[in-house]
Amino acid sequence: MSKRIAIVEDDDAIRENYADVLRHQGYQVQSFANRQSAEAAFTVRLPNLVILDIGLHDEYDAGFELCQWLRAKSSTLPIIFLTARDNDVDTVSGLRIGADDYLTKDISLPHLTARIAALFRRQDAQNKPVEQENLIERGPLVIDSQKMTIKWHNQYVELTVTEFWMVFALAKSPGHVKNRQQLMQDSQIFVDDSTITSHIKRIRKKFSKIEANFNCIETVYGMGYRWNDADIVSLVGQSNAGA
Amino acid sequence: MNLYSTRSKNQGFIRIGLRTKLLILSSFLFTIPWFGYQYVWEMEKYLRYGQEQTIVGTARALATTLHDRPNLFDNQASFLASVEKGKDLYGFQIRQPIQLDGRYNDWPDFEGKAHFYEDSNIIWQEPNQTVSLRFNAAVGKYDKYLYLFFNVVDDKLVFRGNNARSIYLNDHLTLSLTAPDGEHQQYIVSNKNAGWIESFQLDNQTNRPQPINYIQGVWQPNNTGYNVELRLPLDYVGNKIGFSFADVDTPSSKATSLVGSANTSDPEQLGTILVPSPEIERIVKGMSYTQSSIWVIDKHQRVLASAGDINSASGVWRSTASTNANSGIWPTWWHWLQTNLLHPLYYKVLTKPTQDFYDQLYDESHLAGEHIEQALSGEVHSQWRLSTDKQAVILSAAYPIYIDEQVQGAVIVEETTNGIKTLRNKALEQLFTSILAILLVGTISFFFFASRISNRIRQLRNHAEVAIDEHGRVKEDLPALKGNDEIGDLSRSFSTAVSRLTQYNQYLENLSSRLSHELRTPIAVVRTSIENLSMYPIPENAKAYIERAESGVHRLNHIITSMTEATRVEQLLQRTEKQSFNAYEVIASCISGFKQIHPETTFNFQAPNQKANVLGSPEHFAQMLEKIVTNAVEFSCDAQVEIMLITVKKNLILTVKNNGELLPETMENRLFNSMVSLREEALVNSESSLQSSQPSSKSQPSPNSQPHLGLGLFIARLICEYHQGQISAQNCFDPNGVQINIEIPLTE
Repeated sequence: MSKRIAIVEDDDAIRENYADVLRHQGYQVQSFANRQSAEAAFTVRLPNLVILDIGLHDEYDAGFELCQWLRAKSSTLPIIFLTARDNDVDTVSGLRIGADDYLTKDISLPHLTARIAALFRRQDAQNKPVEQENLIERGPLVIDSQKMTIKWHNQYVELTVTEFWMVFALAKSPGHVKNRQQLMQDSQIFVDDSTITSHIKRIRKKFSKIEANFNCIETVYGMGYRWNDADIVSLVGQSNAGA
Repeated sequence: MNLYSTRSKNQGFIRIGLRTKLLILSSFLFTIPWFGYQYVWEMEKYLRYGQEQTIVGTARALATTLHDRPNLFDNQASFLASVEKGKDLYGFQIRQPIQLDGRYNDWPDFEGKAHFYEDSNIIWQEPNQTVSLRFNAAVGKYDKYLYLFFNVVDDKLVFRGNNARSIYLNDHLTLSLTAPDGEHQQYIVSNKNAGWIESFQLDNQTNRPQPINYIQGVWQPNNTGYNVELRLPLDYVGNKIGFSFADVDTPSSKATSLVGSANTSDPEQLGTILVPSPEIERIVKGMSYTQSSIWVIDKHQRVLASAGDINSASGVWRSTASTNANSGIWPTWWHWLQTNLLHPLYYKVLTKPTQDFYDQLYDESHLAGEHIEQALSGEVHSQWRLSTDKQAVILSAAYPIYIDEQVQGAVIVEETTNGIKTLRNKALEQLFTSILAILLVGTISFFFFASRISNRIRQLRNHAEVAIDEHGRVKEDLPALKGNDEIGDLSRSFSTAVSRLTQYNQYLENLSSRLSHELRTPIAVVRTSIENLSMYPIPENAKAYIERAESGVHRLNHIITSMTEATRVEQLLQRTEKQSFNAYEVIASCISGFKQIHPETTFNFQAPNQKANVLGSPEHFAQMLEKIVTNAVEFSCDAQVEIMLITVKKNLILTVKNNGELLPETMENRLFNSMVSLREEALVNSESSLQSSQPSSKSQPSPNSQPHLGLGLFIARLICEYHQGQISAQNCFDPNGVQINIEIPLTE
C-alpha cells in the first residue's frame, strides 16, 4: 500500500510541482492550500507524512500551529517543514515543536524525495531487527544508517534527518576534515556557512546532554569539522595536559 | 570628519559663542545706572529749584517783617545817599571779648577789616611840613561797647608833659561823635605816658576839657609808632563819628598835622558809624532756626544784622535727609556691607558734602554780589555760587526791604546745597544698590540662561556627532531633549530624523534578506518546474536549455543564499554566547586551512605574541578572517598575503595586507557597508560567460565564478563589531596594496 503524503502549501505552482513529483514516486498525495482545509482533512484521517509550509496566506505561523496540532494527535507522524523562511529562529522553533526535519525551498526535488524516503525508512526500520551491516560503531557512537538513529553511550540522540546526515558524514571517516561544502552535499541540504555552524552547534548540544564534556566534533578553523574518536580525543587531551 | 570641516570653515571669522553674544546684549543693562543717574540729577535740579523758591520765600518773609519800620533804621546811617570809605564807618560784630592791651591779635581779621588812613586823609597840615603820620583804624562792637583800635605809624611819639596843662601840645587822638540824642560830642585822648589812656570830653560851649572815665583803653608805643585801643559805651554813640590824630614832633609845641576820618570839630563833616542793629538782630534771630544764614543789609550793603552760620546752613532738606538715615529694618550685615563695601565704592564717584568749607566772600562792611545789587535796585534775585574754597555750593537770595517805597536795605538768605546733596547722595546710594542688585541678578541669570542654552545646544551637537559615525551609519538613537522650546523642538526633530534614518538603514540592511525571502518562492517554482520537466522525455536539442535554466536557477540560489548570509550572521551573533579564546590559535589554524584552500597563494603570518585572548566566538572570528583573507587573495596580484597579529596595550591588532589595486579614496569608509563591491571583473566575467559559451581570452574565470554582492566585508564588520572591535581599510604603499586592520580589545 502506497504511503499517503499531505502537502500544505499556499503557492499553487510549488504545491503542484511537489505533488506531481511525489505522485510520480508512487505516493498518494493530498494537497492543501490553507490550514483550515488541511485540519479538516486530518481530523478525518491522518496521512503517513506531512510536508508543511509555515506561512499560509495571511496566517504567518499557520504551519507551526498545524505542526503542534498534528503532534498532539500523533507523536510518530513524520513532519517536514518546507519553507522559504531560513532564519535560525524559525528553524529552531520548527524543530522544537516536533518536526522531524526543516528544509528550505532551495532543496532540489530529488533531495526532497530522498528525505521523504529516508523518513519512511526510519519509521519502518523502528520495528525491524538491527542489521549488523547497517551499523557503524565509533567507540561510544553507534550509527544505524538503516533506521537513521544515532546512539551515544547506548542512548539515542534525538537528531533531525539533516543533523543525522551531518554526523553520519563526519563519523564515516573520522579524523578527516569535512569542509562545509562537503557537509552540505553529504547531508543533502543547501544552506550557507553559518547555518552549518549552527547545525553543528545544535548537534554538539544534543550530544552534550548525554555526555557533558562531549568534544568529538572538532572545529578546524577555516576549513571545516572533523570527527575525532573518543579515545583519540582523550589521548590528545592527555598529551595536551601533559604539555 | 564632515563636522570638523564645517567647523573649520568658519574659522576665518571670529567665533562668538551664544554666551558671549548674550553677555554683550546684556551689557545694555549697564545703561540703567546712567538713566538712574540722569533721573537723580533731574531730581536734584528740581530740588534746587525748590530750595531756591524756599530761600526766596524766607528772604521775603523776613523782608516783610522789616518793611516800613523806619525806626529800625533811624539811628543808622542808612539814609545817606552814599557812604565814603574811611569816613563812614562800620562797627563789626566782634564775637569774643577784647582785651584792652594795645595789641590787635585778639581782633578778628584786623588787617582785613581796618582802614588805612594816609595822605588822602590829611585834614590839616602845617605848611612846608611833611606828614609823617599814618594809621590803621578798626571799629568793632562787642556787647555794649564800641571798640576802636588804631595802629599808628609815627616817627616821633610825643607824650604830654608831666606838668602840662594843655592837652593839645602832644600826640593826641580826637574822637568826635553825635550822641544818640543828636548832640555833638568831642573827646580827646591825650596821654602823659604809655599805658591806660587819659580821656577828656570837650565842653560844647567852652571847649574846655573835662576828664572822663567812661572811655577806657590803652596807649601802647611800639617800634614804628604806637597803638591805641579803646572802648566807649554804645549809649554815647549816635550815628555819626569821626576821629583824627594830631601829630606833634617837638614836645610842647603845636601839632604839625592832623590825619583822620573827618574834621572832628565840625559835626557836619563827621562820617557815619553803622553798628549792627540789636533790634533787627532780634527779629532776624527769630528766623535763624530756618537752617539758613541770614543777613540784613542797608542800602550801602553794610550788614545791619546777621544770624546763622553758613557752614551749618544746609537748608530745609537737611532735616529731611537725616531723619531716615538709620531706619532699623535692615539687618546688621547689610549695614556692615553698606558702610564697608558699598559706600566706599559709591563715594569714589559721589562727593560727600562737607561742613568744613570756608566761605569769606563778604566783607561785613560791604556785601557785594549781583543778587545784592539787584535786590537794592528792587528786584528779587537769587544766585548760586561756590564757597571761597570751592568746597560747597551756596545758594543766595536777596530780597529788598522797602521803607516809604524806597529800597532801604535787603535781606540776604544763604544756604548751602548740602542738604540736597545729602538727599541726592542718599537717593544715588539706593539707586546704586538697587542697580547693583539688578545687574548682579540680571547678569548672573543671563549667564546661567546663556550657559544652559549653549549647554543644551552643545549636548545636542555632541549627540548628533555621536549618533552617526564616519561611515554614515546610525550608531545610536538621538535622545529627545526635554524642554518645551525651540531647542527641545530641534532636538526632537533631530531625534525623529535620526530614528527615521535608522529605520531606513535597517530597511536597507534587511533588504537583502527580505528580497531573498520573497525571491525564494518564485525560484522554487522555477526550479521545481524545471526538475519536473526533466523527468519527462526531452528532445536532445532542448536539453541544453534545460541545463542553462538550471544553472541560472542555481546561480540565483547562490545569490539569495549569500544575501541572507549577512542577516543570518547578525542573528546568530545575537544569540551566540561569548567565550574566551586565543585568537592566535584560531588564526594559525585558519591559515593552515587557507593554505589548502588557496594553494597558489603564499601566506606570511607574523605574530610576535602567541597569546591573544579575546572574548567572542571563535567560529565567527574564523569566519571573519576567512572573509578578509578571501578578499585579500582575490585582490592580490602577486599571490602574497601578509597577515600580522600584534597586541598593543589592551588591543589585538590584526592586519591583512595584499599587494594589488589601491582602493579609490571614497571607498575606504564605505567598503564595509552592505552590498558594496569593487569586483567589477568578476561580474563582467560571469556576464561574459553567460552571453557566450567561449571563455574570454583576456581574463581567466576564477574558480568560483560567482557573482559578488559585497557582503563579505560587511559580514566581517558585523563579526568585528560583535567582538567590540573596529575594522578599517587603508591603502598602503611600496608595494601598493590594501591593508585591512582589525582592532579588538583583549581580555585578561
